[in-house]
Amino acid sequence: MHSNVDMVKLTDVPERITHWILAGSFLVALVTGLGLMYHHWSVIPTIFGGYYASKWIHIFSGLMFGLSLVVAIPMWWKDCLFVEGDGKWIMKAGGYLWEAEDLPPAGKFNAGQKVFYWFVVAFGILLVATGLVMANALVFPVVLARWAFMLHAMSVFVLASFLMVHIYLGTIGNPGTIQAMLYGWVTRAWARVHCPKWLEEKMDNI
Amino acid sequence: MAEHMMLIDLTKCTGCRACQVACKEWNSLRAEKTVFNGTYQNPPDLSYDTWTLVRFDEMKSKDRLKKVKWLLRKEGCMHCEDAPCVQACPSPGALVKTPEGAVVHNPKYCIGCKACVVACPFDIPRYSPKDEKIAKCTLCYDRITEGKVPACVEACTTGCLEFGPKEDILARAMARVKEVNGSLYPNNGYKTHVMYIIPDYARIEEYSHLNPDPRVPATELWWKNLFKPLTLIGMGGVAGLAVLHYLIKGPHKVEDKGTEGGDNNA
Repeated sequence: MHSNVDMVKLTDVPERITHWILAGSFLVALVTGLGLMYHHWSVIPTIFGGYYASKWIHIFSGLMFGLSLVVAIPMWWKDCLFVEGDGKWIMKAGGYLWEAEDLPPAGKFNAGQKVFYWFVVAFGILLVATGLVMANALVFPVVLARWAFMLHAMSVFVLASFLMVHIYLGTIGNPGTIQAMLYGWVTRAWARVHCPKWLEEKMDNI
Repeated sequence: MAEHMMLIDLTKCTGCRACQVACKEWNSLRAEKTVFNGTYQNPPDLSYDTWTLVRFDEMKSKDRLKKVKWLLRKEGCMHCEDAPCVQACPSPGALVKTPEGAVVHNPKYCIGCKACVVACPFDIPRYSPKDEKIAKCTLCYDRITEGKVPACVEACTTGCLEFGPKEDILARAMARVKEVNGSLYPNNGYKTHVMYIIPDYARIEEYSHLNPDPRVPATELWWKNLFKPLTLIGMGGVAGLAVLHYLIKGPHKVEDKGTEGGDNNA
């Protein structure tokens, strides 16, 4: 497959491992967290071995998410700096939701993915920080602990909702995209549509 | 059983601590080693093994005939009507509001998350790292459901503690407040199943460790009433819209004839 001339390598191994540890830990923390938040979803804690087990699985997956954030943030931040044309791209949703003409060409990540990255950075840090305060609530002033509970819930609302967009556009919404995070290689045709500027620069460097 | 209440008439408290001892005895709570700290306060604070205690506040008075003002207050769970601890608790059954008005913790279901400790406007639940659980006054739920009064009320030597049906206790409180020219606590509209009668020589603010303005923390109202439903609406809404988008627009396929590769079903 890698010898196929029509394939180009979009992500390397560290990127893919980081992405899936980040995603996996977030999903485990999200699901156990929802189980602890919504009492009528007692099936979730049951699957994870009860409410007590859910608490610790939630805390450890959250810590894992925090650690993978430490790796992920410096890994992609340069690729996610906004450039000229990103605003225009956002206004047209990159043609991903409705047809759009005259799209500013996207780089390795399009403007929408960049926004998602910065949301993950901001609200991810907030989630981990507030989670640490909640897990050690008695060490902190009660006012701070109370704010932590609220900001934790707010952050998960923002990130979990955005995550659904990310999952849809990365899977069934755009066939061929998930390969970038599974094998790292995408078709040249895919790259021409989704990352034209990145493809152009890559070809120039050869 | 109908809703019940406890009235703590602070005009009658002599600080004998019979309530403290009775609570320990009935609930089989471990004794704690304490040290003399220069005041009558002993033990120094509520704990996992101390669910009620008498707070001693010694203060200088401007009245020259009564140089020292001594405020005594039996502290314990206030058994809130809309108990923030119950609202905050993630483990069903660990904290329960009973029809009698008691807020009861069940160690069997407590997962030791400390959310109730943070939520309580009175700083009552106490966490034990060793047991990884919280504990607090249960209004002697095991006694009141058998028609008895709580152990502290039973032991009270002066009639400072009264327990009975809600209407009776409220009527009693109103009458007593008039009688002693005192005031009721809580007096800000916050509803609890334990109330204090504050003597005329004291102000609420003078009692240590007594929140003058108890209420459900605003932060809890925000996460419970806003962000909790919003998370479901956000996730479900986006998922629903994604399905709609897929059905209407279909997948955004890469059309490039002659280019092989790429499993489109991935």
